[in-house]
Amino acid sequence: MESLHGSDWDLVIAGTGLAPSLFALAVSRSGLRILHVDHHEYYGGDEAALSLSEAEAWAAAHSGDSKEDTSTSTAFAPRCFSHATVTRIDDGGEGANLPRRLGPQRAYSLALAPQIIYSRSNLVSALVSSHTHSQLEFQAVGSWFLASGSSSSPNLSRVPGGREDVFQDATLDLHAKRSLMKFLRFVGNYEEKENEWREWKDLPLPTALEQKFGLPPAFHGPLIALTLSASLPNDITAAEALPRVARHLRSIGIFGAGFAAVFPKFGGLAEVAQIACRACAVGGGVYVLGKGVSSVDETPGDDLTLQLSGGETVTTKRLVGSLGDLPLAVTNNTAWRTLVRGIYIVSGPLSPLFPSTSEGGVTPAGAVVVVPSTSEPAGPPIHILAHSSESGDCPSAQCVLYASTILSETTGSEDVDVDAMHRLDDAVALVLRSTLTTPTDGGESNAECSQLQVLWKLHYRHAVPQRQSSERHEGDGRILTLPHVSLDLALEDSVLGNVESVWAKAIEGEEQGRFLRFESRGGMGDDE
Amino acid sequence: MADSSAPKPSSSVKLVLLGEAAVGKSSLVLRFVNDDFQPNKEPTIGAAFLTQKCQLPTRTIKFEIWDTAGQERFASLAPMYYRNAQAALVVYDITKESSLVKAKHWVAELQRQASPGIVIALVGNKLDLCEDDEEAAEEESSGASATAAADDEEGEESEAAAESTENNDEGNNSTARKVSLKEAKSYADEENLLFFETSAKSGHNVGEVFTAIANAIPETSLKGRNAGAAAGAGTQAALTGANENSRVNLNAASGDGGPKEGCAC
Repeated sequence: MESLHGSDWDLVIAGTGLAPSLFALAVSRSGLRILHVDHHEYYGGDEAALSLSEAEAWAAAHSGDSKEDTSTSTAFAPRCFSHATVTRIDDGGEGANLPRRLGPQRAYSLALAPQIIYSRSNLVSALVSSHTHSQLEFQAVGSWFLASGSSSSPNLSRVPGGREDVFQDATLDLHAKRSLMKFLRFVGNYEEKENEWREWKDLPLPTALEQKFGLPPAFHGPLIALTLSASLPNDITAAEALPRVARHLRSIGIFGAGFAAVFPKFGGLAEVAQIACRACAVGGGVYVLGKGVSSVDETPGDDLTLQLSGGETVTTKRLVGSLGDLPLAVTNNTAWRTLVRGIYIVSGPLSPLFPSTSEGGVTPAGAVVVVPSTSEPAGPPIHILAHSSESGDCPSAQCVLYASTILSETTGSEDVDVDAMHRLDDAVALVLRSTLTTPTDGGESNAECSQLQVLWKLHYRHAVPQRQSSERHEGDGRILTLPHVSLDLALEDSVLGNVESVWAKAIEGEEQGRFLRFESRGGMGDDE
Repeated sequence: MADSSAPKPSSSVKLVLLGEAAVGKSSLVLRFVNDDFQPNKEPTIGAAFLTQKCQLPTRTIKFEIWDTAGQERFASLAPMYYRNAQAALVVYDITKESSLVKAKHWVAELQRQASPGIVIALVGNKLDLCEDDEEAAEEESSGASATAAADDEEGEESEAAAESTENNDEGNNSTARKVSLKEAKSYADEENLLFFETSAKSGHNVGEVFTAIANAIPETSLKGRNAGAAAGAGTQAALTGANENSRVNLNAASGDGGPKEGCAC
């Protein structure tokens, strides 16, 4: 391998998470001399997707507390991931009554921070306008479910996805239908009615639904589920909920009847990051993994001098990176928002979670299950993104469930973690049982389902600073930073928005207005 | 490619190209996709994602071909190239011994890291530089050495240099070969690889490589790791081309028209 020592660049990009990779895509036709590095040995940064053995190695490296553990990334900001533990259930001996086994470790692509992408998201149109979408395979997130009940009588109910669903829902009485329709109509163009809701914008969503739309509490669950909010229901204000419900409703039917969101096959956002990096490489960018930027010399007047984590020194006119990948002083008083996440590999297809949303339409490979808290007082809900094997995340006849819940206490005691992990386990168990009692379209035999179990699971904490300035390092504009992707379950438009504003500064005006709008490269697969 | 217009089941196959710089990776693809050859091709920067269909008697394979875009220098691109690939074309230059060493390195890496069941084809390119037939190739296998040494001084990096070698070498073909057919073939057999010697310049064997790969792709992987959910219907789905029915077509967006439901009455 050649050495980078002494090389000179127009632009160095640090980190291959979603945001810096999209930035790399944005500058891929700029003609700049670009070096793109990542201190990880894999692409995707915090949004990476890992094989089984990579995930286990990752867990070992992130098992400690983020505040204390500085073993592998001293130069970088406090790490987002910590407290990782793997539990491998499928280690039973030969002949044990385990008809289903983990597949080859490389048949898995487990996303550390999975997000769904609403059809109306700005990322989707940017991928199309930059001609990168043809290299990705998108799949549908079909249905939203509410899981409730006890282990003995679990209940899985599909959330009506829109007005047609509401009409056809036999469980709703006429009054409830009318109230629901009233609310859905209101949300449809809520922006125009701000004078109506301004006075109750700070009301908790359940209160607003009851007082303003006459919806009894029994019908709040589905609407709360559509917000994908990690908060306690009573902590979601009407003003927060309206745009979230609206983005869901407005995305339905854009790419096919009955579904609102998509995700890329083979590991989700990690795949987008890789495609974006690849586009930059095609434009001449040089890629080096396993190398981070460990220090920056910003002597005014000269180019920036970067020390890389292999000891090499390079110079560059500009440095762009995500906050977690740059050796910048981080203010310690930043509040962090923390999720406890669990990735579960399940020994069954869980087909009741992936019903077709329309006759002859695509087969969904994803689903969202919301498990509201049943404790007293109520805790935060648990969200589960379910990926079928069609997602490429696991071998056939298995499923991956990505569960998460917000950590309400920031004290960080171990008990809180253990409690949250147990709640995730319970929620997953509830969902597994509920799929057994749900009649399926296909004739899935009960014998097959009785073998349903978790084969492997990974728990960890994922923390992101609550306040992130994308221009924290204002200086002379030679160092530009991109914030972490939020903990939200759906990709937020602000991710690409931040990339665009950094891009606008980095390319100095000549291509303004052409953000991610590229001509097709000759010979590229745009046919059909 | 045959012009069968009858609707046959069609599947996409991601194919990655790997190999040392200047062995002719892009030229092979260019020959396959456009039936074209550029003698002084620049190192690849630019078009690096091409598609071409391959018609088999019972099905159509659409290759999504990922070229390495001249990124061999730091090896860091490779993982993102071969991730999820169902087929790999590992190319070496039969006039350059070091390129086979590099090819073996790629094969080992693919076997260690790529998707289980990936179909790997080893291809010795630039057969036109040694226009001897295959038997002759075997005979001179160990002999070629001193006379062609000059070749190595030039053309370390660029395809163009390798091509000019050919022009200088018209009368001297038998000495251009540095990797014997026998050596490469026995390595390929050992590792269970498809194996061909090709010429992107003349087109010799190029189509055959892709057809052989298409034939070697197991039906199961064409189903896109299809869920057992469909159980009995699975095979039928693959045959009727329904294997891609979980793929969402982003080009099929319902225009900029308003949302179909959910808002405004």
